[in-house]
Amino acid sequence: MKKITYEEQTKITRAIIKAAVLMLEFGAESKLIEETAQRLGNALGIDSVEMSLIPSAIVLSTLSNNQTQSVTTTRRAHHKPINMSIVCDVQKMCHNIEKEKQDVDFIFKALKEIQPNYYNRWLVMFMVGLSCASFAYLTGGDISAFFITFIASTLAMFTRQELAKRKFVMIITFAFTAFVATIVAGLSQIYELSSTPNVILSASVILLAPGFPFVNSVLDAVKGYLAMGWGRWMQAVLLTVATSIGIILALALLSLKGW
Amino acid sequence: MITEYILNAIFAAIPALGFAMVFNVPKHALIYCAFGGAIAYTSRIILQDLNVPLELATFLASTIIGIVALYWSRKFIIPRPVYTIASIIPLLPGTFAFSAIINLIEMNAHGVTPELINLFIENGLKTIIILGGIGLGLAFPSLYNIRYNRAIS
Repeated sequence: MKKITYEEQTKITRAIIKAAVLMLEFGAESKLIEETAQRLGNALGIDSVEMSLIPSAIVLSTLSNNQTQSVTTTRRAHHKPINMSIVCDVQKMCHNIEKEKQDVDFIFKALKEIQPNYYNRWLVMFMVGLSCASFAYLTGGDISAFFITFIASTLAMFTRQELAKRKFVMIITFAFTAFVATIVAGLSQIYELSSTPNVILSASVILLAPGFPFVNSVLDAVKGYLAMGWGRWMQAVLLTVATSIGIILALALLSLKGW
Repeated sequence: MITEYILNAIFAAIPALGFAMVFNVPKHALIYCAFGGAIAYTSRIILQDLNVPLELATFLASTIIGIVALYWSRKFIIPRPVYTIASIIPLLPGTFAFSAIINLIEMNAHGVTPELINLFIENGLKTIIILGGIGLGLAFPSLYNIRYNRAIS
């Protein structure tokens, strides 16, 4: 078997952890991160890859040369808005390396080339508005509830995109977006435009439902990544609290629902 | 009857599609997310029509979508959550969660009454149980493939 020098192994370790951090930051499941790291290591001729995942960092060790040479490194992960296309691209790159027997430089090159697959922002706004409006329909709203929810959540999505463009923290983005959505929905209640005002109020903030952190936290926890499960659970709770703060502020401003 | 199912399926597919776009799902996976949303919501309605309670129906519906997504992810080499999380969006207990928050606000503003506590516990419990049902339902199909078979080394 070919010997791997210390410098080579350091480079491989850097490449693997770069891919792993990218997946963690953009919201991949823990099991997927660990498996991808191990598959990359195997494809590049490392004996084994061991990693310790916590919500804010990754510690990764690689062993090579019959488990006699070890390289360990740590990276901080800064959580960003969920982006599944990046996670898919990293996994596709891993698959390519296994299939085509590429070397380390291929990983660096491929990771540099990954571009987030952004949809046209006006299309996303329209679709999210329509989604929340469908939600209003599914929970039993009338026809005017459908259109008011569409307007409220389209405006909310516009706010969310503007704040995301200015790189605000997710908590502020969520609170402010919920505020905008509830103001529009609450105004429709004041002017009595619909017979089902509660449906509008609840459906127009559904675009802020932290589905990814909640589901990922359950998936991580049942697969044995308990610390990650708690971390993501906390993240989801924080985002829900931020949304609630936005809703409460808007209701207080319009003096609705007992304020 | 049938038209109602189809209409509901279409209106469930739209949120799944919209949220898939917010999560930046790759283009070719979008159509599967829409199908997933329709499958999840329709199976929940059918189960509810068979007199299954809402919580259990949600759990079974998300188990179904978990199994379907297992098949899709193997076929297209795309991680499973990409499909599943967009698909369960129409099942989310949005109204219950919102009502629970409103109940809390009312308790703070008008004083705590037994009726409000009843409402709050009812809504909060429904929210938590449905959320847990969705999460566990999605997790079960993939847990089936995990075994304790690591050799001692």
